[in-house]
Parts: sequence; structure tokens; C-alpha cells
Amino acid sequence: MNLGVRRTLDRVFTGLAGASIVLLTLVLIAVLGPMVYRGSSAVLFQGTVEFRKMQRDLFRRADRTALAAEIAETDQARQVVYEMIDRFRKGIDIEAMSSEARQINREYGRELRHNDASADEYTEAREVARTIRDLLQEAFRSQDIELIRRNVAEVLARKDEARFTGTVAERYFVMAADFLEAAEHIDLSHYHDYLVALDEVEVILFGSIERPGLLGPRPNQAARPLAMSSYGATRWDQAQALLDRLLWAERWVEQEPGQPLVKQRSPRAELFHDTALEPLFTYVPQNLNEMLRPRFTVYWQFFLDDNFDSHYFGGVGPELLGTLLITVLGMLFVIPLGVISAAYLVECASEGPAMRILRMSINTLAGVPSIVFGLFGLAFFVLFLFPKLGFEPKACILAASLTLAVLTLPVMIRASEEAIRTVPRSYKEGSLALGASKFRTFVIVTFPAALPGILTGVILSLSRIAGETAPILFTGAVSMGPIPKSIFDPTRTLSYGSYDMAVGDRLAMMVPHNQYGMVVTLILLILVLNALAVVLRSRVFKKLKGH
Amino acid sequence: MRVTLAHREAPESKPQAMECTYPVIRSRGFSLHYGAKVGVKDITMDIHPCSVTAIIGPSGCGKSTFLRSINRMNDLIPHVRTEGLLEVDGQNVYDKRTNLVNLRQQVGMVFQKPNPFPKSIFDNVAYGPRLQGVRRGDELQHIVEQSLRAAAIWDEVKDDLRKSALALSGGQQQRLCIARALATRPRVLLMDEPCSALDPIATGRIEDLIGQLQSTYTIVIVTHNMQQAARVSERAAFFCLGELIEYDRTEKIFSNPTKKQTEDYVTGRFG
Repeated sequence: MNLGVRRTLDRVFTGLAGASIVLLTLVLIAVLGPMVYRGSSAVLFQGTVEFRKMQRDLFRRADRTALAAEIAETDQARQVVYEMIDRFRKGIDIEAMSSEARQINREYGRELRHNDASADEYTEAREVARTIRDLLQEAFRSQDIELIRRNVAEVLARKDEARFTGTVAERYFVMAADFLEAAEHIDLSHYHDYLVALDEVEVILFGSIERPGLLGPRPNQAARPLAMSSYGATRWDQAQALLDRLLWAERWVEQEPGQPLVKQRSPRAELFHDTALEPLFTYVPQNLNEMLRPRFTVYWQFFLDDNFDSHYFGGVGPELLGTLLITVLGMLFVIPLGVISAAYLVECASEGPAMRILRMSINTLAGVPSIVFGLFGLAFFVLFLFPKLGFEPKACILAASLTLAVLTLPVMIRASEEAIRTVPRSYKEGSLALGASKFRTFVIVTFPAALPGILTGVILSLSRIAGETAPILFTGAVSMGPIPKSIFDPTRTLSYGSYDMAVGDRLAMMVPHNQYGMVVTLILLILVLNALAVVLRSRVFKKLKGH
Repeated sequence: MRVTLAHREAPESKPQAMECTYPVIRSRGFSLHYGAKVGVKDITMDIHPCSVTAIIGPSGCGKSTFLRSINRMNDLIPHVRTEGLLEVDGQNVYDKRTNLVNLRQQVGMVFQKPNPFPKSIFDNVAYGPRLQGVRRGDELQHIVEQSLRAAAIWDEVKDDLRKSALALSGGQQQRLCIARALATRPRVLLMDEPCSALDPIATGRIEDLIGQLQSTYTIVIVTHNMQQAARVSERAAFFCLGELIEYDRTEKIFSNPTKKQTEDYVTGRFG
């Protein structure tokens, strides 16, 4: 081959190698980039006043006076919304109005009895009140605007009668006037549709028992059991999404019989055309800023905070702690065990059929699926060994770290074996020639010289232990529960938490930032642990090389 | 002081008493087998104290094997079998009751390639004494200094005993290894081609050192370099195919050997 061709081939080879490295980097960025981007929004985001309220209530973390002032201001802006909805509801909620009319009638009767009126006066007043009630109820049920006008006029004619002034019956006349005003604007044949549409608007704005709303529960509403539905949109992007749902009604429409339904969006304001509620759909988008006060927030406590309602609120503190505990404990098992096994394989064991089988077993063990280790851990550590040792047979940190240690043992053994094997024979001979025993030679000379290679094994095992999910499914991980008090308690972990959020929970789906945040925390944790090990390794290496 | 062949021509300069003392190493019909393979066969020789004995011979003739038998370094190799008698200081090396630790501290060894441990210079030299149970700092310091001085490297490293031994040059490393072997105060020093990995200047310094050490220690040196054997040794043993062919004063081996094989080898006709 002539020199030119060789040179060209060399260049092509170098180019290919370079290109593959670039490609790998790009793939890595493409995979991790979006995840890190979305995960970072768990920490950096536009937090609304609702977020600050939540932080005050759940984490006792707020500038209380400033927040109180802010809440007062936002409540003022929200008051308009509350009033609009209340007024509109008065006109259409027939059941509510009928029952209120009945209520007034009863209360008026009770008042009369207390006033020591004469029997005649009492009977007459009750009679009139009952008539008013019936007139109103007839009007509420009617869809004929003429009848409504006539009845309301008849009721209002009695407004100035002396017997009603200063009594509960005055509410009759307020009600009547409000209803007439609403009825003048509403297509009475559709009042039920309005009611449904209004309920929907209210759920979007104020949330329901299982679903958070844009503004959160109204100030006078009863407290809700779940933290997540007790607050409005805590993040500006969430608020935007809810605003979109408020402004656009989605309907699944059958366009042709037998065909899949088609989603249609139409402005929700159309549903309330020409009614008292129509201005709401311009007021809310215009004043959302005032009502929620978004502000750039750095929520660094994400890494430390406990969480509520399947990670709807809060951070990944317990998960991080659990992962660290399991990892550290697992490494405590796997490092000595791995190094000692490797030392035995290299220094003491004589080659033979038993040795071949042992080696093959180690290699096979490295290829066993991790879920098998999970089941093994459950069967062996939790159900078999723990009762024998007098521990309670339940999934716990100890069982999880033992299982993970078994899982990574082959990796550790092989890395350490390689490291110990590559220690120059002359080191060992030098030490033995000075009269040192085999054990001493290993501890003082061979082990330190093999340390960089052993640390490589540590790095590999570390990443595996911190990131594995299946082995701890049954042996120590839970998706919720108290922070562990000892290694005999189960714990939440980042890996299992990520899995659980991805498959288990509808609530978790609503907070992708927390989901990605958890995954990114796991990645960061492994990176940090690895970086520490790499730094340690390079320091040991430098020391060995004597620079 | 360079010990030359010319210098060796006056054996009278050595005190006669030395020659007559009881040999430190005594071998009687000693054989060693690796499984079915013969390492050395039927070696009978005495090695005298406070002298340098060179073992020469072609590759694979069993010189290193014999040398390593003296402090039982061959034990590391599986399936080793020995016959006959090998004594150091009247103690049978291959006796079951022999304390290996004591034996190896009595019989120091320097290897072909400098093999300092990846530790500081001080820790390298102090390794042996520490094994012997010396713990006191000043005592260790004293032993280390003495050993480094004896190995003629003290002046080069005295300011930097905490430096890693691997930062030294090859020749310095080898002298450090000698110092390390001397630190256990051995009677015998085995040297397995100690200069084969060194350049001529470093070799010269090691040879000077051997010359200085021979008044105190019994040195057995295996070498491929016949000039070196002639320069440093008082007696020489010629090995071939696992057998001891001839063992005599060095000048006799090089000038007037009894056996034809030896003559062929030293004159370069063979090997």
C-alpha cells in the first residue's frame, strides 16, 4: 500500500473516531438536555401567591406580614370574580332560591311568634308571607317572562308594608329584584345548561375536593382534606393552563356516526353570552396577574423538603435521604466483601474445577435481571433471614441495601480482581522477601497499589446501587410514609419514587416538573458521588505515582 | 572504590580467618523440581561469610532458582518439590519448623527490576523493621538513616524522605531496594541480576556498593554479565542445565577453569 493511501486511511479512521465521540455527546445532550431542562423547573419557576401561601402553611416558611398584605391585595382583585359568580348564580339556581324562599318563610314565622303579635295579625302575616313565597316559587319554576314580571311586581308591591320592615322577610324583595334582573337577561329555557356550565367554571376557578383550581377555594369555603386542592395555581405555567381551560370549552363531538369523536374548542364566553357572567371572561385574563402575583422563585429547598399528596407539593428530601442511606449502607457491604473475594480469587485460590465453577457463577450473577434479585432479597433476607436473626420480617433499608450489595457484588469483584491482578508481582515479592506474611503483604502493599482500580469498581457499583429500582421494590422502598428512624424502617428513594410517579399516580401526572425534578436529582446525586470517587481515585493515583 | 579484576589478583589482602569460618550457606545434594520439570539438580556447595559469590551460567540454567531457594521465594510457585539439604546458618531452610519470617529477614533479597513500594522513601526502608516490631519513631529513623547510608543513597534523599520512592531514578530505586533489604539487618544478601535494568553509570555505583557491603554481609549475586562477576566476586559458581558445573575462586574460573564447559562459557564459545 502506498504512503498516500495509508495516510488517507489513517485520517478516515481518526475522523470516524472523532465523529462517533461527537455523536455520542449529542445523543447524551439530546437525552439529558430536556430532562434537565424540565427538571430544573422544579427549582426555578414563576411562583404565585398561592405557592407562598402553601409554603407558609405546609412548611412554615414565609414573611408573614408581607404575605398577609399580598393576600389582602389579591383577595381584593378576586372579590370581583366572586361577586360576578354569586350574582349570576342567584338568577339561575332555582333549587337554591326555592329553598331560600322556604327558609325565609319559616324564619319569618318564628320571628312573628317571638314578637307577641295578636292571633289575627299573626295569621294574616303568615298568610301574606306564604303567598309571597308561592308567587316567587311559581316565578322561579316558570319559563314565561311575562308571568315572572307579573309575580315579581305583585311581590314588590308589598315591599313597603309596615309588617315586613326590619324583618327577615325583606330578603324576599332583594331576591325578587335580583331574580327579575337575571331573568330579563337569561334564556330561561336553558337555565339547566347554565347551571352545568357555571359549575364547570366554578371548578376551574376554585377547584373541587379532588382537583386544584385557578384561584383556590373561596375564603369562606370549608377547608379541603387534600393539600393539593386547598390552594390555587401555585405556578404561573399551571395558572396559564387553567386559564386556557377557563376560556376555552372543550367538547368531544361526534361528527359522523361511527367515527371517533373529535375534540372541539369553543370560547367558553359564548355559553354565557349576554348574561351577567360574560364580563368574567375578560376580567380574569386581564387581572390574573393581580390575582396571583407571579414572581420568580428559586425553590432550592426542593432537595430537602418533604412532600404532600404524591409529590403534588414539596420536594424530594426524604427520597434523597433514603437513597443516600441505602447507597452508603450498600457500599459498606459490597466494598469489603468484593475486595476480600477478589483477594481470595487472586491470591489464595488454586485453579481447579471448583474455581472455574465459582468464576462462572460470578459472571452469571452479573447478568441476572435485577427483578430476580428483588425477589431473592424478599425471599432470603426479609422472609428467611430476618426472622431467624430476630428482626421483624418487613421490607427495610437494611434488606434493600443487602439486596443491592448482592446485585453489584459481581461488578465489584471483577473490577477489584482485575485491579489486584495488575499490581506488579515485584511489589508482592519485595514484601514477601522482607519477611512479611501474605496477609500483611496484601494489606500494606497490594491493596494500596490496587486502590485506583478498586475505586473504579466502587464507581460502577455506586451508580448501580443508587439507581436501581427493581431490587428494592419488595425489599425496602415505599412511595409514601414517614422518614425512617432506623435501618429497620422502609424508606422512600429517588429511583423508586421516579418509577412510582411515572406509573402509579394521576396526581403526579399533573406535576411533571416534580417528576423530572426527582429524576434530575437522582442523576445529579450519582454524578456528585461519581465525581467524589473520581477525585479520590486521581488523588490516590497521584500519590502512588509519587507526583 | 571500583573493585577490579586486577585488584582481585592479590587474594592475600583478604584476612585468612574469613576463609576458614563455617560457611553461612551450605547446600548438600539439593534439588528442586517444578512438577515434572527440574529446576536445580544435586547442588553441593558452601558459601562463605563476608564475601561475594557470583553465580553465572546461561539462561534457564537454574541460577535464579537456586538463589530463590535460599530464602524460599520459590514457595510462591505451585507444585514445587525439594530434595536434599540447604542450610543457612546451620538451620535447614526447608524444614517444616523453619520460621519463614525469620529466614527472610536473615536472608535479604534484591530483585532484577527495582521494586520499591508505592510509598515514601522512609516507609519503604522502614517496612522491614516495622515487620520486626520496631515502632519507636527515633529508632526507625536511626535504622532508616543507617540503611540508606549503607546503601550509599543517604546524601541524595536525606532532604526528602517523605517523597514517593517511585519518583527516584532507576539506579536510585535499586539502591533504595538494597537499603530496604539491609534495614532488617540480614546476614545474607541475595542479588538476582541487580543491574540488568540499569544503565552503565548506575551499574557502576551498585558495583561499588557491593564492594563496600562485602565486608559486613555475605552476598550472593546472580549475573549474566561476566565482567561484572569478575569485577565484584571472590568466588564464582558456574551453573548449566540445573547442575553446578564448577565452583571455585573467581580468578580461577575465569583464567584456568577445570571443566571444558566452563571454559567454553567464560571464553564466549557457548551460551
